[in-house]
Amino acid sequence: MTARAMPGRGGFAALLAISAMALTLAVALAVSIGEMRIPLSTVALSLTNHLGWTDAPISRIQDSVIWDLRLSRALVAALCGAGLAICGAILQSLLRNTLAEPYVLGVSAGASTGAVAVIILGVGAGAVSLSAGAFAGALAAFAFVALLSDGGRGGPDRTILAGVAAAQLFNALTAYVVTTSGNAQQARDVMFWLLGSFGGVRWPEFQLLAAVIVIGLAVCIWYAHALDAFTFGDDAAASMGIPVARVRIVLFVTTALITATIVSMVGSIGFVGLVVPHAVRFLIGPGHMRLLPACAVVGAVFMVLADIVSRSVMTQQTLPIGIVTALVGVPCFSLILYRARRPA
Amino acid sequence: MHLRLIITTLAGLAAAAPALAEPTQYPLVLENCGTTVTIDSAPQNAVALGQNSAEILLMLGLQDRMAASAFWPTKVLPELEEANAGVEILTVEQPTLEGILAREPDFVAAQLPLLLGEDSKVAKRADFEDLDIPSYLSPGICNTRDDAGDIYGSRDQLWNMDPLYQEIDELSRIFDVADRGQALIADFRQREADLLARFEQGDSTFLFWFSSPSEGEDAYLGGKNGASGFIADLLGARNAITTEAEWPTVGWEGIISADPTYIVAASLDRDRWTLDRAEAKIAFLTTDPSVSQMAAVQEGRILTMNGAAMNPTIRTLYGAEELADQLQAMRAE
Repeated sequence: MTARAMPGRGGFAALLAISAMALTLAVALAVSIGEMRIPLSTVALSLTNHLGWTDAPISRIQDSVIWDLRLSRALVAALCGAGLAICGAILQSLLRNTLAEPYVLGVSAGASTGAVAVIILGVGAGAVSLSAGAFAGALAAFAFVALLSDGGRGGPDRTILAGVAAAQLFNALTAYVVTTSGNAQQARDVMFWLLGSFGGVRWPEFQLLAAVIVIGLAVCIWYAHALDAFTFGDDAAASMGIPVARVRIVLFVTTALITATIVSMVGSIGFVGLVVPHAVRFLIGPGHMRLLPACAVVGAVFMVLADIVSRSVMTQQTLPIGIVTALVGVPCFSLILYRARRPA
Repeated sequence: MHLRLIITTLAGLAAAAPALAEPTQYPLVLENCGTTVTIDSAPQNAVALGQNSAEILLMLGLQDRMAASAFWPTKVLPELEEANAGVEILTVEQPTLEGILAREPDFVAAQLPLLLGEDSKVAKRADFEDLDIPSYLSPGICNTRDDAGDIYGSRDQLWNMDPLYQEIDELSRIFDVADRGQALIADFRQREADLLARFEQGDSTFLFWFSSPSEGEDAYLGGKNGASGFIADLLGARNAITTEAEWPTVGWEGIISADPTYIVAASLDRDRWTLDRAEAKIAFLTTDPSVSQMAAVQEGRILTMNGAAMNPTIRTLYGAEELADQLQAMRAE
């Protein structure tokens, strides 16, 4: 379709297979590594016990650490990585902007306002969880962006400007609430929450996230060809018979829902959504039918590994995951950028 | 003042009562922050999350039954240093659940919902419940949870030590050392009463200066109804700051116009901000061209206090005592 040579179908299948294996390995590593020293045999037995293959007696605390903490956390990390990478890829195509990332629609800023409203203002009087508040805030910010950008019909630039305006507005609201009614400890809580961490996730979060990501990914792949057409501009897409406005709205809403779910669960985690799609495009080209599944797997592996680093570098304490994704990700991305440089 | 006298007398009487307490009957069932906690036997391997929870357990002489502690914003109380030396500190920051579970605790006491609660990144109560590990959250913090706008933000009533006494009482019964708990509460109440009796209610005001990021920048102060306000009340005075926020940030123009009688320069153990140390605060107060013109500075009415006292904890009483001695010496001059 373009002058640029595309890797063959076999190459893509191989990449998917390697990525799937890498993901399994990464999750296995995540379940085996932690502060509590648990022999690998116990880890294996815990997993097989839960899968119903064995019925070996193991310590309840160790079993709970392996299954309820490490495994649920690794799988949630994988889903978050997958979700953020897909959203980044889609927004970069829809907005035809290489700097677009999942938070471009203002959801991260909105989530922080929602979280602050719950933590500091006590909205919901303890009955509303922080996550629910953050989710509501994220959707409010997205609604604001949708309104300003005329449901995406105003064109990519207008959507990005609307996103920037929403981020400014909601960040200002957050800062206003923190400075006028917060205390130092609360400000720290908010900061910590915003930086992102997988510390609070368990199985219920995994179930919800799995449903959202699977449905979201399916919707996005359904529109993969339409996304390819968008690369050439709205007019070109329309001339190919694609209902431009409808596709754009559906995809905006899908990415906003995925991102809002992730942000409200684990805080905002930067870098993955921006960079993984670019890295994958360098490797397999821009066709969305391949790009989206590949982004999902690569994003998942990357996030699981980043989470292992975040909870291993300091004893007894977790480094915010966003710091790790950037510290680990930037050198990787620099290498890809360097190797993909075009001859002058 | 009549009311003060009555309260003082009553508190003194209560404190004088001998500390006799029944041994705990297990299983002990407690309502704690909306959760029913069942303790089957006295904990032998407890983990304390949060400095205040840890210091209460140490004051109850339970160091041999503590596996570990975490989250220490400031140094341990000097008289507890020796007891605390034998208890592992997981981290002075927020610990991880896996790190806590690795100590195989049979009881977990936490100071803040940040460390134990639905929205906590450290642990949820269900995490421990699923493993039959009873958990306990400081009642002072959860009592305010249901009031909108008051999770730990502002207070519309002056803080007092009652929730801490409830916590000491409950923890002592959980560990079957109720007599020690009653003795500790009686001691604290007596000390409160002594302070109230030492100072006449007057018109003087206190400014509690926690810290500032740099010289001249807006100062973090203790609010009207928080622990700082309670300290001022014990000393027969008021907080010069009248906003209900627990930790208001106020510019120096506002502080100068509030014209406090006394300025309390908090000393913090950390070195995060330029003005964390009391000496740095005093240097700024006495050298800044406009701030140094305040009456409190001109007449040398600057006191120092450990900043930990400005958090609503057992340390609050220690802070009040620290100020009381300086105040008395100053007034005697």
